[in-house]
Amino acid sequence: MIIEARPILESIDPEILATLAARENEIAQGASTSSSTAALLALGSIPIALGALARDAYAQAPSDVLDVLQFALLLEYLEAEFYQRGVAASGLIDAADRTIFTTISGHETIHVTALRSLISAKGATPLAKPNFDFTAKGNVAGFNFAAGQYETFKVLAMAFEDTGVRAYKGQAPRLIGDAAALSAALSIHSVEARHAAEIRRLRGKKAWISGSSRDDLPAFTQGIYAGEENELQGGLMLSTLPGYSANGGSTAGTEAFDEPLSKAEVTAIITPFLA
Amino acid sequence: MSQRPTFTISDAGMLATPRTRRDILKLIAVGGTLVLLPAALSACSEDNGVTTPPTPQPNSGAALTIDFAKGDIAVLQFAYALEQLEADFYTRVVNAFGGSNLTAADKAVLQDIKYHEVLHREFLKAALGASNDFTVIATYPGVHFNDRTSVLNTAKTFEDLGVAAYNGAAQYITSAVNLTLAGKIVSVEARHAAAIGDLLSPKTSAFAPNAFDDVFRPSKVAATAQGFIVNKLGFTNAPGTFVQGPNNNG
Repeated sequence: MIIEARPILESIDPEILATLAARENEIAQGASTSSSTAALLALGSIPIALGALARDAYAQAPSDVLDVLQFALLLEYLEAEFYQRGVAASGLIDAADRTIFTTISGHETIHVTALRSLISAKGATPLAKPNFDFTAKGNVAGFNFAAGQYETFKVLAMAFEDTGVRAYKGQAPRLIGDAAALSAALSIHSVEARHAAEIRRLRGKKAWISGSSRDDLPAFTQGIYAGEENELQGGLMLSTLPGYSANGGSTAGTEAFDEPLSKAEVTAIITPFLA
Repeated sequence: MSQRPTFTISDAGMLATPRTRRDILKLIAVGGTLVLLPAALSACSEDNGVTTPPTPQPNSGAALTIDFAKGDIAVLQFAYALEQLEADFYTRVVNAFGGSNLTAADKAVLQDIKYHEVLHREFLKAALGASNDFTVIATYPGVHFNDRTSVLNTAKTFEDLGVAAYNGAAQYITSAVNLTLAGKIVSVEARHAAAIGDLLSPKTSAFAPNAFDDVFRPSKVAATAQGFIVNKLGFTNAPGTFVQGPNNNG
Protein backbone atom coordinates (compact mmCIF):
# COMPACT_ATOMS: atom_id res chain seq x y z
CA MET A 1 0.00 0.00 0.00
CA ILE A 2 1.65 3.20 -1.13
CA ILE A 3 -0.87 5.67 0.17
CA GLU A 4 -0.64 5.73 3.92
CA ALA A 5 -3.87 6.97 5.37
CA ARG A 6 -2.53 9.27 8.04
CA PRO A 7 -3.54 12.71 6.79
CA ILE A 8 -4.17 14.22 10.20
CA LEU A 9 -0.87 13.21 11.71
CA GLU A 10 1.12 14.06 8.58
CA SER A 11 -0.23 17.58 8.45
CA ILE A 12 0.32 18.39 12.11
CA ASP A 13 3.33 20.35 13.29
CA PRO A 14 5.91 17.93 14.82
CA GLU A 15 5.84 19.76 18.13
CA ILE A 16 2.09 19.40 18.42
CA LEU A 17 2.42 15.79 17.37
CA ALA A 18 4.82 15.17 20.26
CA THR A 19 2.27 16.69 22.62
CA LEU A 20 -0.46 14.54 21.15
CA ALA A 21 1.68 11.44 21.54
CA ALA A 22 2.31 12.31 25.18
CA ARG A 23 -1.40 12.83 25.68
CA GLU A 24 -2.06 9.53 23.95
CA ASN A 25 0.02 7.86 26.64
CA GLU A 26 -1.84 9.69 29.35
CA ILE A 27 -5.12 8.63 27.91
CA ALA A 28 -4.05 5.05 27.40
CA GLN A 29 -2.76 4.84 30.93
CA GLY A 30 -5.68 6.67 32.44
CA ALA A 31 -3.36 9.16 34.11
CA SER A 32 -5.03 11.20 36.78
CA THR A 33 -5.71 14.76 35.76
CA SER A 34 -6.61 17.89 37.63
CA SER A 35 -10.30 18.59 37.81
CA SER A 36 -10.02 21.52 35.44
CA THR A 37 -8.04 19.45 32.98
CA ALA A 38 -10.51 16.65 33.39
CA ALA A 39 -13.33 19.06 32.63
CA LEU A 40 -11.60 20.17 29.45
CA LEU A 41 -10.80 16.60 28.54
CA ALA A 42 -14.44 15.65 28.93
CA LEU A 43 -14.98 17.13 25.51
CA GLY A 44 -11.55 18.16 24.38
CA SER A 45 -10.03 14.73 24.71
CA ILE A 46 -12.17 13.24 22.02
CA PRO A 47 -10.58 14.95 19.04
CA ILE A 48 -7.19 14.92 20.71
CA ALA A 49 -7.36 11.27 21.56
CA LEU A 50 -8.65 10.48 18.12
CA GLY A 51 -6.01 12.57 16.42
CA ALA A 52 -3.35 10.80 18.41
CA LEU A 53 -4.88 7.44 17.79
CA ALA A 54 -5.71 8.09 14.15
CA ARG A 55 -3.09 5.56 13.06
CA ASP A 56 -5.12 2.76 14.56
CA ALA A 57 -8.39 4.09 13.28
CA TYR A 58 -7.12 4.49 9.75
CA ALA A 59 -5.58 1.07 9.89
CA GLN A 60 -9.13 -0.28 10.06
CA ALA A 61 -11.83 0.93 7.72
CA PRO A 62 -11.92 4.72 8.04
CA SER A 63 -14.78 5.20 5.62
CA ASP A 64 -16.92 2.80 7.65
CA VAL A 65 -16.18 4.56 10.93
CA LEU A 66 -16.82 7.97 9.37
CA ASP A 67 -20.08 6.74 7.91
CA VAL A 68 -21.20 5.61 11.36
CA LEU A 69 -20.24 8.91 12.94
CA GLN A 70 -21.99 10.96 10.25
CA PHE A 71 -25.09 8.82 10.61
CA ALA A 72 -25.02 9.25 14.40
CA LEU A 73 -24.63 13.00 13.88
CA LEU A 74 -27.78 13.08 11.77
CA LEU A 75 -29.74 11.41 14.59
CA GLU A 76 -28.27 13.72 17.20
CA TYR A 77 -29.14 16.79 15.09
CA LEU A 78 -32.73 15.55 15.01
CA GLU A 79 -32.88 15.01 18.76
CA ALA A 80 -30.99 18.18 19.65
CA GLU A 81 -33.24 20.42 17.57
CA PHE A 82 -36.35 18.67 18.84
CA TYR A 83 -35.47 19.24 22.51
CA GLN A 84 -34.03 22.71 21.96
CA ARG A 85 -37.29 23.81 20.36
CA GLY A 86 -39.29 22.04 23.06
CA VAL A 87 -37.41 23.64 25.91
CA ALA A 88 -37.61 27.06 24.22
CA ALA A 89 -41.35 26.85 23.58
CA SER A 90 -43.46 28.65 26.12
CA GLY A 91 -46.25 26.69 27.75
CA LEU A 92 -45.33 23.37 26.14
CA ILE A 93 -43.52 21.43 28.88
CA ASP A 94 -45.10 21.03 32.32
CA ALA A 95 -43.16 23.13 34.80
CA ALA A 96 -42.56 20.07 37.02
CA ASP A 97 -40.92 18.21 34.13
CA ARG A 98 -38.65 20.96 32.86
CA THR A 99 -35.48 19.62 34.50
CA ILE A 100 -35.92 16.32 32.70
CA PHE A 101 -36.07 17.98 29.31
CA THR A 102 -33.40 20.61 29.90
CA THR A 103 -31.14 17.73 30.97
CA ILE A 104 -31.84 15.70 27.85
CA SER A 105 -31.62 18.76 25.60
CA GLY A 106 -28.21 19.58 27.06
CA HIS A 107 -26.99 16.04 26.47
CA GLU A 108 -28.11 15.91 22.84
CA THR A 109 -26.46 19.25 22.11
CA ILE A 110 -23.22 17.96 23.63
CA HIS A 111 -23.52 14.78 21.54
CA VAL A 112 -23.73 16.90 18.40
CA THR A 113 -20.61 18.85 19.36
CA ALA A 114 -18.71 15.68 20.25
CA LEU A 115 -19.58 13.89 17.03
CA ARG A 116 -18.65 16.91 14.94
CA SER A 117 -15.28 16.97 16.73
CA LEU A 118 -14.75 13.26 16.16
CA ILE A 119 -15.50 13.62 12.46
CA SER A 120 -13.28 16.68 12.08
CA ALA A 121 -10.45 14.87 13.88
CA LYS A 122 -10.60 12.20 11.21
CA GLY A 123 -10.07 14.81 8.54
CA ALA A 124 -13.65 14.81 7.30
CA THR A 125 -16.28 17.53 7.22
CA PRO A 126 -19.21 17.01 9.56
CA LEU A 127 -22.56 16.66 7.86
CA ALA A 128 -24.49 19.94 7.85
CA LYS A 129 -27.67 19.99 9.92
CA PRO A 130 -30.66 19.35 7.68
CA ASN A 131 -34.08 20.93 8.18
CA PHE A 132 -36.56 18.81 10.07
CA ASP A 133 -40.29 18.29 9.84
CA PHE A 134 -41.60 17.30 13.26
CA THR A 135 -45.04 16.55 11.87
CA ALA A 136 -43.33 13.64 10.07
CA LYS A 137 -44.95 14.57 6.77
CA GLY A 138 -48.32 14.95 8.43
CA ASN A 139 -48.18 11.77 10.51
CA VAL A 140 -48.18 14.03 13.58
CA ALA A 141 -50.61 16.50 12.10
CA GLY A 142 -50.35 20.06 13.36
CA PHE A 143 -47.51 19.51 15.78
CA ASN A 144 -45.48 22.72 16.11
CA PHE A 145 -44.33 22.84 19.77
CA ALA A 146 -47.42 24.84 20.72
CA ALA A 147 -48.85 25.10 24.21
CA GLY A 148 -51.18 22.17 24.79
CA GLN A 149 -49.15 19.75 22.66
CA TYR A 150 -47.13 18.32 25.56
CA GLU A 151 -48.49 14.78 25.18
CA THR A 152 -47.49 14.73 21.53
CA PHE A 153 -44.08 16.14 22.41
CA LYS A 154 -43.53 13.27 24.86
CA VAL A 155 -44.74 10.72 22.29
CA LEU A 156 -42.13 11.97 19.82
CA ALA A 157 -39.46 12.03 22.53
CA MET A 158 -40.14 8.37 23.34
CA ALA A 159 -40.02 7.50 19.65
CA PHE A 160 -36.72 9.31 19.09
CA GLU A 161 -34.99 7.89 22.17
CA ASP A 162 -36.04 4.29 21.60
CA THR A 163 -34.85 4.72 18.00
CA GLY A 164 -31.53 6.18 19.10
CA VAL A 165 -30.75 3.22 21.33
CA ARG A 166 -31.35 0.73 18.55
CA ALA A 167 -29.51 2.83 15.97
CA TYR A 168 -26.26 3.10 17.94
CA LYS A 169 -26.47 -0.59 18.86
CA GLY A 170 -26.77 -1.55 15.21
CA GLN A 171 -23.73 0.48 14.21
CA ALA A 172 -21.41 -0.59 17.05
CA PRO A 173 -19.92 -3.61 15.21
CA ARG A 174 -18.74 -1.30 12.42
CA LEU A 175 -16.54 0.44 15.00
CA ILE A 176 -14.65 -2.70 16.04
CA GLY A 177 -10.97 -1.87 15.83
CA ASP A 178 -11.43 1.85 16.50
CA ALA A 179 -11.59 1.77 20.28
CA ALA A 180 -11.85 5.54 20.69
CA ALA A 181 -14.83 5.83 18.37
CA LEU A 182 -16.40 2.71 19.90
CA SER A 183 -16.02 3.99 23.46
CA ALA A 184 -17.48 7.36 22.52
CA ALA A 185 -20.40 5.79 20.65
CA LEU A 186 -21.18 3.35 23.45
CA SER A 187 -21.03 6.08 26.08
CA ILE A 188 -23.71 7.90 24.07
CA HIS A 189 -25.69 4.72 23.34
CA SER A 190 -26.31 3.99 27.01
CA VAL A 191 -27.24 7.60 27.72
CA GLU A 192 -29.88 7.42 24.99
CA ALA A 193 -31.19 4.35 26.82
CA ARG A 194 -31.36 6.38 30.05
CA HIS A 195 -33.29 9.09 28.24
CA ALA A 196 -35.64 6.52 26.75
CA ALA A 197 -36.26 4.98 30.17
CA GLU A 198 -37.02 8.32 31.79
CA ILE A 199 -39.42 9.46 29.10
CA ARG A 200 -41.19 6.12 29.07
CA ARG A 201 -41.64 6.33 32.85
CA LEU A 202 -42.78 9.94 32.57
CA ARG A 203 -45.45 8.64 30.19
CA GLY A 204 -46.49 5.96 32.70
CA LYS A 205 -44.83 3.12 30.76
CA LYS A 206 -42.24 0.60 31.83
CA ALA A 207 -38.71 1.87 31.25
CA TRP A 208 -38.02 -1.20 29.06
CA ILE A 209 -39.60 -2.45 25.85
CA SER A 210 -41.86 -5.52 26.15
CA GLY A 211 -42.10 -7.61 22.99
CA SER A 212 -42.50 -5.39 19.94
CA SER A 213 -45.06 -3.18 21.65
CA ARG A 214 -45.09 0.48 20.67
CA ASP A 215 -47.52 1.04 23.56
CA ASP A 216 -49.73 4.00 22.68
CA LEU A 217 -47.50 5.44 19.99
CA PRO A 218 -49.06 6.02 16.55
CA ALA A 219 -48.93 3.20 14.02
CA PHE A 220 -46.38 4.93 11.81
CA THR A 221 -43.78 4.39 14.59
CA GLN A 222 -44.08 0.58 14.57
CA GLY A 223 -40.74 0.21 12.81
CA ILE A 224 -39.09 1.54 15.98
CA TYR A 225 -40.26 -1.56 17.85
CA ALA A 226 -40.27 -4.19 15.12
CA GLY A 227 -37.95 -7.06 16.02
CA GLU A 228 -37.89 -6.28 19.75
CA GLU A 229 -39.86 -9.48 20.27
CA ASN A 230 -36.71 -11.49 19.45
CA GLU A 231 -35.97 -14.31 21.89
CA LEU A 232 -33.15 -15.95 19.95
CA GLN A 233 -29.93 -14.53 21.41
CA GLY A 234 -26.55 -15.61 20.11
CA GLY A 235 -28.14 -18.72 18.65
CA LEU A 236 -29.75 -19.62 21.97
CA MET A 237 -33.50 -19.63 22.54
CA LEU A 238 -34.18 -17.85 25.82
CA SER A 239 -37.12 -20.14 26.48
CA THR A 240 -34.66 -23.00 26.97
CA LEU A 241 -33.00 -21.23 29.92
CA PRO A 242 -33.66 -22.68 33.39
CA GLY A 243 -36.34 -20.73 35.24
CA TYR A 244 -37.47 -18.81 32.16
CA SER A 245 -41.19 -18.86 32.91
CA ALA A 246 -40.60 -18.26 36.62
CA ASN A 247 -38.65 -15.15 35.72
CA GLY A 248 -41.17 -13.40 33.56
CA GLY A 249 -40.99 -15.59 30.46
CA SER A 250 -41.27 -13.90 27.09
CA THR A 251 -42.22 -10.54 28.59
CA ALA A 252 -39.08 -10.29 30.72
CA GLY A 253 -37.03 -12.11 28.11
CA THR A 254 -37.72 -9.51 25.45
CA GLU A 255 -37.34 -6.67 27.94
CA ALA A 256 -33.94 -7.95 29.06
CA PHE A 257 -32.41 -7.62 25.59
CA ASP A 258 -32.68 -4.45 23.48
CA GLU A 259 -32.38 -5.17 19.78
CA PRO A 260 -30.32 -3.39 17.13
CA LEU A 261 -31.67 -1.77 13.98
CA SER A 262 -29.81 -1.62 10.69
CA LYS A 263 -28.91 1.70 9.12
CA ALA A 264 -31.56 1.13 6.45
CA GLU A 265 -34.22 0.46 9.08
CA VAL A 266 -33.30 3.58 11.03
CA THR A 267 -33.23 5.63 7.84
CA ALA A 268 -36.76 4.48 7.06
CA ILE A 269 -37.88 5.55 10.53
CA ILE A 270 -36.37 9.03 10.42
CA THR A 271 -36.98 9.88 6.76
CA PRO A 272 -40.47 11.31 7.46
CA PHE A 273 -38.82 13.77 9.85
CA LEU A 274 -36.48 15.14 7.18
CA ALA A 275 -38.01 18.25 5.62
CA MET B 1 -41.56 -29.97 78.50
CA SER B 2 -43.35 -31.58 75.65
CA GLN B 3 -46.10 -28.97 75.85
CA ARG B 4 -43.68 -26.12 75.20
CA PRO B 5 -43.61 -24.88 71.62
CA THR B 6 -40.51 -25.06 69.49
CA PHE B 7 -39.85 -22.43 66.84
CA THR B 8 -37.19 -23.09 64.27
CA ILE B 9 -35.39 -20.30 62.47
CA SER B 10 -33.80 -21.87 59.46
CA ASP B 11 -32.58 -18.82 57.62
CA ALA B 12 -32.03 -15.14 58.06
CA GLY B 13 -34.98 -14.28 55.88
CA MET B 14 -37.34 -15.65 58.51
CA LEU B 15 -35.93 -13.18 60.98
CA ALA B 16 -36.74 -10.26 58.77
CA THR B 17 -40.47 -10.17 59.26
CA PRO B 18 -42.08 -8.43 62.21
CA ARG B 19 -44.44 -11.35 62.51
CA THR B 20 -41.50 -13.65 63.25
CA ARG B 21 -40.07 -11.29 65.83
CA ARG B 22 -43.44 -11.08 67.58
CA ASP B 23 -43.66 -14.84 67.50
CA ILE B 24 -40.23 -15.13 69.08
CA LEU B 25 -41.13 -12.73 71.87
CA LYS B 26 -44.36 -14.60 72.58
CA LEU B 27 -42.46 -17.85 72.49
CA ILE B 28 -39.87 -16.68 74.99
CA ALA B 29 -42.64 -15.35 77.22
CA VAL B 30 -44.14 -18.83 77.46
CA GLY B 31 -40.77 -20.50 78.08
CA GLY B 32 -40.53 -22.15 74.71
CA THR B 33 -37.45 -23.36 72.90
CA LEU B 34 -35.92 -21.22 70.22
CA VAL B 35 -33.84 -23.10 67.68
CA LEU B 36 -31.51 -20.98 65.64
CA LEU B 37 -29.90 -22.83 62.80
CA PRO B 38 -26.44 -21.65 61.71
CA ALA B 39 -27.61 -19.61 58.73
CA ALA B 40 -29.77 -17.50 60.99
CA LEU B 41 -27.16 -17.13 63.72
CA SER B 42 -24.61 -15.60 61.41
CA ALA B 43 -27.21 -13.02 60.45
CA CYS B 44 -27.17 -11.55 63.93
CA SER B 45 -23.68 -10.13 63.77
CA GLU B 46 -24.84 -6.56 63.19
CA ASP B 47 -26.89 -4.33 65.46
CA ASN B 48 -29.92 -4.77 63.31
CA GLY B 49 -28.53 -7.84 61.61
CA VAL B 50 -31.90 -9.49 61.84
CA THR B 51 -32.74 -7.72 58.61
CA THR B 52 -29.62 -8.64 56.67
CA PRO B 53 -28.32 -11.88 55.28
CA PRO B 54 -24.95 -13.23 56.46
CA THR B 55 -22.15 -10.87 55.56
CA PRO B 56 -18.81 -12.60 55.06
CA GLN B 57 -15.89 -10.34 54.28
CA PRO B 58 -15.38 -9.31 50.67
CA ASN B 59 -12.16 -10.52 49.07
CA SER B 60 -11.75 -13.28 51.68
CA GLY B 61 -12.54 -16.36 49.63
CA ALA B 62 -10.99 -18.45 46.91
CA ALA B 63 -9.50 -16.81 43.85
CA LEU B 64 -11.75 -16.11 40.88
CA THR B 65 -9.38 -15.34 38.05
CA ILE B 66 -10.38 -14.36 34.54
CA ASP B 67 -7.77 -15.01 31.85
CA PHE B 68 -7.94 -12.39 29.14
CA ALA B 69 -5.87 -14.62 26.88
CA LYS B 70 -9.24 -16.23 26.17
CA GLY B 71 -10.32 -13.12 24.27
CA ASP B 72 -14.07 -12.67 23.85
CA ILE B 73 -14.68 -15.58 26.23
CA ALA B 74 -12.93 -13.64 28.99
CA VAL B 75 -15.11 -10.60 28.39
CA LEU B 76 -18.23 -12.75 28.57
CA GLN B 77 -16.91 -14.41 31.75
CA PHE B 78 -16.38 -10.99 33.26
CA ALA B 79 -19.95 -10.08 32.30
CA TYR B 80 -21.17 -13.38 33.74
CA ALA B 81 -19.47 -12.61 37.05
CA LEU B 82 -21.14 -9.20 37.23
CA GLU B 83 -24.54 -10.57 36.23
CA GLN B 84 -24.27 -13.23 38.94
CA LEU B 85 -23.74 -10.46 41.46
CA GLU B 86 -26.65 -8.39 40.16
CA ALA B 87 -29.00 -11.36 39.93
CA ASP B 88 -28.15 -12.41 43.47
CA PHE B 89 -28.68 -8.88 44.76
CA TYR B 90 -32.12 -8.42 43.20
CA THR B 91 -33.19 -11.92 44.21
CA ARG B 92 -32.43 -10.99 47.81
CA VAL B 93 -34.21 -7.65 47.35
CA VAL B 94 -37.34 -9.38 46.07
CA ASN B 95 -37.19 -12.04 48.80
CA ALA B 96 -37.09 -9.23 51.39
CA PHE B 97 -40.11 -7.37 49.94
CA GLY B 98 -42.32 -8.57 52.80
CA GLY B 99 -40.36 -6.70 55.47
CA SER B 100 -39.19 -3.70 53.49
CA ASN B 101 -40.48 -0.15 53.22
CA LEU B 102 -40.26 -0.12 49.44
CA THR B 103 -43.33 1.32 47.75
CA ALA B 104 -45.51 -0.68 45.39
CA ALA B 105 -44.04 1.33 42.50
CA ASP B 106 -40.50 0.52 43.65
CA LYS B 107 -41.34 -3.16 43.92
CA ALA B 108 -42.78 -3.30 40.41
CA VAL B 109 -39.54 -1.91 38.99
CA LEU B 110 -37.28 -4.08 41.17
CA GLN B 111 -39.25 -7.23 40.37
CA ASP B 112 -38.78 -6.61 36.64
CA ILE B 113 -35.08 -5.89 37.10
CA LYS B 114 -34.68 -9.11 39.09
CA TYR B 115 -36.17 -11.05 36.16
CA HIS B 116 -33.88 -9.29 33.68
CA GLU B 117 -30.72 -9.88 35.69
CA VAL B 118 -31.50 -13.53 36.34
CA LEU B 119 -32.09 -13.99 32.61
CA HIS B 120 -28.82 -12.20 31.79
CA ARG B 121 -27.05 -14.54 34.20
CA GLU B 122 -28.69 -17.66 32.83
CA PHE B 123 -28.11 -16.55 29.26
CA LEU B 124 -24.39 -15.92 29.79
CA LYS B 125 -24.06 -19.15 31.73
CA ALA B 126 -25.55 -21.07 28.82
CA ALA B 127 -23.66 -19.10 26.18
CA LEU B 128 -20.32 -19.73 27.92
CA GLY B 129 -20.85 -23.49 28.00
CA ALA B 130 -17.77 -25.18 29.42
CA SER B 131 -16.30 -21.79 30.32
CA ASN B 132 -19.02 -21.06 32.89
CA ASP B 133 -17.64 -23.15 35.75
CA PHE B 134 -17.30 -20.50 38.43
CA THR B 135 -19.65 -19.12 41.01
CA VAL B 136 -19.57 -15.63 42.44
CA ILE B 137 -20.29 -15.52 46.16
CA ALA B 138 -21.89 -12.19 46.94
CA THR B 139 -21.84 -10.28 50.20
CA TYR B 140 -23.41 -6.96 51.10
CA PRO B 141 -21.66 -5.22 53.98
CA GLY B 142 -23.75 -2.34 55.26
CA VAL B 143 -26.67 -3.03 52.93
CA HIS B 144 -30.06 -3.23 54.63
CA PHE B 145 -32.50 -5.15 52.50
CA ASN B 146 -35.53 -3.86 54.37
CA ASP B 147 -34.55 -0.24 53.85
CA ARG B 148 -35.64 1.54 50.69
CA THR B 149 -32.77 4.01 50.54
CA SER B 150 -30.15 1.34 51.14
CA VAL B 151 -31.62 -0.98 48.50
CA LEU B 152 -32.07 1.71 45.85
CA ASN B 153 -28.64 3.26 46.38
CA THR B 154 -27.01 -0.16 46.13
CA ALA B 155 -29.03 -0.91 43.01
CA LYS B 156 -27.87 2.39 41.51
CA THR B 157 -24.26 1.45 42.24
CA PHE B 158 -24.66 -1.90 40.51
CA GLU B 159 -26.46 -0.53 37.46
CA ASP B 160 -24.07 2.35 36.86
CA LEU B 161 -21.16 -0.03 37.34
CA GLY B 162 -22.68 -2.50 34.91
CA VAL B 163 -23.07 0.18 32.25
CA ALA B 164 -19.48 1.37 32.68
CA ALA B 165 -18.25 -2.24 32.68
CA TYR B 166 -19.89 -3.22 29.40
CA ASN B 167 -18.93 0.10 27.81
CA GLY B 168 -15.30 -0.43 28.83
CA ALA B 169 -14.98 -4.12 28.03
CA ALA B 170 -16.43 -3.66 24.55
CA GLN B 171 -13.09 -2.55 23.09
CA TYR B 172 -11.67 -6.01 23.87
CA ILE B 173 -14.41 -7.84 21.97
CA THR B 174 -13.39 -9.01 18.52
CA SER B 175 -16.60 -10.62 17.25
CA ALA B 176 -19.49 -8.54 15.94
CA VAL B 177 -21.97 -11.04 17.34
CA ASN B 178 -20.52 -10.77 20.84
CA LEU B 179 -20.31 -6.98 20.66
CA THR B 180 -23.96 -6.83 19.64
CA LEU B 181 -24.90 -9.15 22.51
CA ALA B 182 -23.08 -6.89 24.96
CA GLY B 183 -24.88 -3.93 23.40
CA LYS B 184 -28.25 -5.61 23.82
CA ILE B 185 -27.60 -6.03 27.53
CA VAL B 186 -25.86 -2.75 28.33
CA SER B 187 -28.73 -0.55 27.19
CA VAL B 188 -31.10 -2.51 29.42
CA GLU B 189 -28.70 -1.95 32.32
CA ALA B 190 -28.81 1.76 31.45
CA ARG B 191 -32.62 1.67 31.47
CA HIS B 192 -32.41 0.10 34.92
CA ALA B 193 -29.98 2.77 36.10
CA ALA B 194 -32.32 5.50 34.89
CA ALA B 195 -35.39 3.95 36.50
CA ILE B 196 -33.59 3.56 39.83
CA GLY B 197 -32.30 7.13 39.59
CA ASP B 198 -35.84 8.28 38.92
CA LEU B 199 -37.15 6.38 41.96
CA LEU B 200 -34.44 7.88 44.17
CA SER B 201 -34.78 11.43 42.91
CA PRO B 202 -37.85 11.94 40.71
CA LYS B 203 -37.89 14.62 38.02
CA THR B 204 -34.28 15.61 38.51
CA SER B 205 -31.30 14.79 36.30
CA ALA B 206 -30.61 11.67 38.41
CA PHE B 207 -31.74 9.39 35.57
CA ALA B 208 -28.81 10.55 33.42
CA PRO B 209 -26.31 12.66 35.34
CA ASN B 210 -23.90 13.03 32.40
CA ALA B 211 -24.05 13.46 28.64
CA PHE B 212 -21.69 10.49 28.34
CA ASP B 213 -21.79 7.33 30.43
CA ASP B 214 -18.60 6.12 32.04
CA VAL B 215 -16.32 3.72 30.20
CA PHE B 216 -14.34 1.75 32.80
CA ARG B 217 -11.46 -0.66 32.28
CA PRO B 218 -12.11 -4.13 33.77
CA SER B 219 -9.72 -3.64 36.71
CA LYS B 220 -11.55 -0.47 37.75
CA VAL B 221 -14.89 -2.26 37.59
CA ALA B 222 -13.46 -5.18 39.57
CA ALA B 223 -12.21 -2.85 42.30
CA THR B 224 -15.76 -1.64 42.98
CA ALA B 225 -17.41 -5.03 42.46
CA GLN B 226 -14.90 -6.61 44.87
CA GLY B 227 -16.60 -4.75 47.71
CA PHE B 228 -19.58 -7.08 47.21
CA ILE B 229 -17.78 -10.29 46.27
CA VAL B 230 -16.23 -12.84 48.64
CA ASN B 231 -14.08 -14.49 45.95
CA LYS B 232 -10.79 -12.74 45.28
CA LEU B 233 -11.30 -11.27 41.82
CA GLY B 234 -8.28 -11.21 39.57
CA PHE B 235 -7.18 -11.05 35.96
CA THR B 236 -4.34 -12.71 34.12
CA ASN B 237 -3.08 -11.53 30.76
CA ALA B 238 -5.06 -8.33 31.29
CA PRO B 239 -4.93 -6.06 28.24
CA GLY B 240 -2.09 -3.58 28.50
CA THR B 241 -3.90 -0.80 26.74
CA PHE B 242 -7.20 0.85 27.46
CA VAL B 243 -8.76 3.60 25.40
CA GLN B 244 -10.71 6.04 27.51
CA GLY B 245 -14.23 7.20 26.82
CA PRO B 246 -15.25 10.86 26.74
CA ASN B 247 -15.35 11.16 30.54
CA ASN B 248 -11.66 10.11 30.66
CA ASN B 249 -12.12 8.45 34.04
CA GLY B 250 -11.91 4.74 33.30
